[in-house]
Amino acid sequence: MNSTKATVSITRRLIVTVLSLEIIAAIALVGAITVHERHLQFTAFDASLRGTAESLMGAVQDAEDSGDNVMLDLRSVHLPKDSIFRVAETGRVLGSKGDLPDAVRDSASDKLDDKVHGRPYRFVILQGVRIIDPGNANKGTAHSVRVIYGMPTKRIWHEVLEAIRFFVVATLILLGVTALLLVWVIRRDLQPIHDLAHEAERITGADWNFSAPESARQTKELRPLADALEAALSRLQQSFAQQKRFTQDAAHELKTDVAIVKSSLQLLSMRMRTAEEYRAGLARGLDDLTRLEKTVQKLLTLARLEQPDDGRSRDCSLRAALEEAMHQSKSYADLRSIHIDAIVEDDAVVPLDRDDAVLLCSNILMNAIQHSTSGSVVEITLVEESATARLSIRDHGEGISEADRQYLFDPFYRGDLSRSRKSGGTGLGLSICRAICQRIGGSIDIENHPAGGALVTVTLPASLQPRSAVMSNNISA
Amino acid sequence: MRVLLIEDEQRLAENIATALREVGVAVDHAEDGEDGYQFGQQGVYDAIVLDLMLPGKSGQSILHDLRKRKIHTPVLILTALEGKDSIVQLLNSGADDYLSKPFDLGELLARIKALIRRAKGASSPILTVLDVEIDTIRQTVSRDGQSIELSPTEYRILEYLAHRPRAIVSKQEMLEHLYDFDWEHNSNVIEAHISNLRRKLNIIGTEPLIETLRHRGYRLREEAHR
Repeated sequence: MNSTKATVSITRRLIVTVLSLEIIAAIALVGAITVHERHLQFTAFDASLRGTAESLMGAVQDAEDSGDNVMLDLRSVHLPKDSIFRVAETGRVLGSKGDLPDAVRDSASDKLDDKVHGRPYRFVILQGVRIIDPGNANKGTAHSVRVIYGMPTKRIWHEVLEAIRFFVVATLILLGVTALLLVWVIRRDLQPIHDLAHEAERITGADWNFSAPESARQTKELRPLADALEAALSRLQQSFAQQKRFTQDAAHELKTDVAIVKSSLQLLSMRMRTAEEYRAGLARGLDDLTRLEKTVQKLLTLARLEQPDDGRSRDCSLRAALEEAMHQSKSYADLRSIHIDAIVEDDAVVPLDRDDAVLLCSNILMNAIQHSTSGSVVEITLVEESATARLSIRDHGEGISEADRQYLFDPFYRGDLSRSRKSGGTGLGLSICRAICQRIGGSIDIENHPAGGALVTVTLPASLQPRSAVMSNNISA
Repeated sequence: MRVLLIEDEQRLAENIATALREVGVAVDHAEDGEDGYQFGQQGVYDAIVLDLMLPGKSGQSILHDLRKRKIHTPVLILTALEGKDSIVQLLNSGADDYLSKPFDLGELLARIKALIRRAKGASSPILTVLDVEIDTIRQTVSRDGQSIELSPTEYRILEYLAHRPRAIVSKQEMLEHLYDFDWEHNSNVIEAHISNLRRKLNIIGTEPLIETLRHRGYRLREEAHR
């Protein structure tokens, strides 16, 4: 599992993602809070400016003289020390404090920002009419008063920054807590993966048992993985067991054959014998050796057929292969007085080596002859329809037992647990047939014919061969 | 001695049976488990050679059933199976010995003989009765230091009796243990062989070795006078 490439940690990724999102959200939040806080503070500031300006306006009072003059009475007005104001009547300044910039003094708007000695100020300008002595007969004198009042805005910004700082600190604490929580939660939530890995780690060549832990099974996202693992392992186990059984069977078979050869020769050498006895014994030993050789040959054939196809394109006439197989098995059929009846309506070109095609046909045919009742008929039909060749071989023997049916194509299966070899053959014939068929995507099946006897059906991908081409194929073969 | 061979592999069985017969052991051959069990449960064999994979009835099951029926004939297992587990299991379920295929024919014969010997209570291959020495390996007999020439059948009778000292062995038992099914069962044959055996063993200055108990059988004398 160790990889030289950089590994990816889901935990780290999740934490980084979540924290990044949180930081972005926090920045947006702080921005919004800044805007909002600034707005709030300035609204309050404006209100307070206006309030003070109103007070200043209210402080314009009747002067203690006889005329209708007005004066500024600041006793009831509280003015912060940084504040700047100027109260003026048309043409006459009633009172002022601080250095008011000229631009503000002459401004026509009612609110204005400007700098005084480099410090930002905000000014409100109140234009009002003050009526003095409204109780007089002439209903008082109207004085047009202009009040300008300003305060430094620095303090507001200070307030805004304070608020922002509070939020930033709170957010940072929140981020830290979230990160810790995330680590804990993610670790806990990823535990089923570790459980699954731990369980999978226990699998060895000897012990294939694997059942996904309950924690992984209950995790929706892990369930497909757990199921896939279980299924894959069970398939592997099956094929492993099959291989193992095959090896054991092959070893059993070879050992038995070797035991026969060995005992034949040792028997011969147990004591001095006549030349005739030696000759007969050697002949028997040679027969035994031939059987061993056949077993080895068939094992090698099966091993070759079970290798993946090399992709080389090949084809041969199934009809020609069948004819050759019939020719090969003729003497055996005659020996058992069995008549072979072939109905070959079409020819089909199948993507097989000619030797394999002949082997396929002759194995099935020999099997049929072997299991036929003496004097009966083996019926063969070969038809081709919609790019499929179907070869059926039926015997009139005892048929097959349903219990055996699924095992008949297994190597060394002889329809009896004992693998009795009395019937001859190695028990590899049908396995070889199946391997030949499966290699090119075909199939082979064996069943009991409704009217008795066994029926073997081979289905192979094929292309129809024009009659003239059949001829030339036969000639060239 | 008479051995039952239960082996479905025809050629192998032929070779083993021939080899056993050549060393003077009577052999009955069963080709499948059912027959093998039927033969074996008669209890007339001195040893059974048992293949494990058999049609009809498996070797394990034959062994199990024989032991259940109190048949204590020594059993040698022939197996082509791998694995210590199955061997341990076989020995535990009553097998006395085993050989893996492919085996050495000479070793098989030696093991069968050793099994028979041990089952009859003799651990040495040389049996001694009074002054008679029987070498079961070389199949030679000597009395008082003098070598005695015996025919194969005479030797087998003497060896069988020597394996059962003091016991009365009936003619029927001798027929069962010394001949396989291929021979004709005729108790006169035994009488003739015993008579020849007595004559050959009768060296001057020795006592008669084989006693005849009328209608009961034969017995080797063992009361030594020296």
